Amino acid sequence: MRKTFAAGLLAATSVLLAPAAEPPLTPVADPQPILANLQRQMSSLSSVYLEFTQERWLKLFAEPLKSEGVMLIARPDLIRWETTAPFQSILIGNHKSVAQFEFTDGAWKKLKVGFPQMLRRVMEQMSLMHQGRLDALTKDFTISVSTGSVAVVTMVPKDQEVRAMLASIEIQLLPDFSATREVVMHEPGGDRTRILFRREKRDVKMAAALFDQTKPLDLAAIKKAVANEP
Amino acid sequence: MNLSLLLLLLATLAAGCATAPHHTLPRTAQSFPADALITQRAVLTALGRQYTLNGYLARSATGGQRLIVTENLGGVLADVLVKPDGAVHVMRSSRAFTPQRIRRHLAADLQCIFGDLPRADCPGQMLSPTHFVIERRWYKLDVQIVETKPGPQSPPIFDETQKATP
Repeated sequence: MRKTFAAGLLAATSVLLAPAAEPPLTPVADPQPILANLQRQMSSLSSVYLEFTQERWLKLFAEPLKSEGVMLIARPDLIRWETTAPFQSILIGNHKSVAQFEFTDGAWKKLKVGFPQMLRRVMEQMSLMHQGRLDALTKDFTISVSTGSVAVVTMVPKDQEVRAMLASIEIQLLPDFSATREVVMHEPGGDRTRILFRREKRDVKMAAALFDQTKPLDLAAIKKAVANEP
Repeated sequence: MNLSLLLLLLATLAAGCATAPHHTLPRTAQSFPADALITQRAVLTALGRQYTLNGYLARSATGGQRLIVTENLGGVLADVLVKPDGAVHVMRSSRAFTPQRIRRHLAADLQCIFGDLPRADCPGQMLSPTHFVIERRWYKLDVQIVETKPGPQSPPIFDETQKATP
């Protein structure tokens, strides 16, 4: 559970970075120059705002199970993953700690998060990804790149135990890395989770209170700011 | 405190204990569509820590109930099928939700909230028609129904011979 969740969260955030897959795609023999370019672009960003739809595709069901939300990332290491429908939940992290809130009976309630160390580690990985530091993930993943109408970074877990639950993660970006399209987490049995991103805004000014781990600012504030963006 | 006051206090406490409401979940199965896909959000509290879970319940009047439990980003933690006669089939388990835990706790809690058969062991409360709390010795499960899609579900969902691959 820990590893799956960690890998999933990681993938979700890695979103930032990029890519996933529609033919025709051509595998890149040496992905290093592309990864370096990606890192260069990402390292210059101060923040990223993304709205997402998460689709859970289970072979059992004809249609995907969907949820909606928003992800915020701000330098140096702040992240907020918020589900807005069909339920409301916020996960906020930095390199030191994480906090989770659930909206219940008309009010936000802070949870005593389980596995806090694991979550904190995931947050650190997210921070690395925010800086385009895919190289820092090569310890845990075998990374390959394909290019074409989109750029796709594929990450395969090196740990056999993790691989038994998570076959691979695909991150799909626009060819110029200017926006993330989607992240797909493939499971060995054929089930998959697809996170589709839209309304990506980079270098948006974000109030520190959006990442407050005691009483985070409501998402409406940043949504309003983003709505006014060109 | 004198003796009479103490006795009065003890008597009051005893009476209070004797008449204290013993919270048991009411039978609510009839309030849910017989055929539907019901999405739930749950917070599991155990050993002072809280874990958020998503539940997807397929209900069939003839096939039974199939519950899939996932973690935040979709990983399946448990998958259980409960037939109309109450027979429990663990379709998929995980390290967190072992087959034994699924049978003993998850299937039991499922039956407490959505089951058609009467159960005595359902300690908890219905806070609203869509909000339930089950409190057992080792854990507390706070379940909210966040979405209900009425309609017949695919028959293979309720076929215990078609186990999902992990």
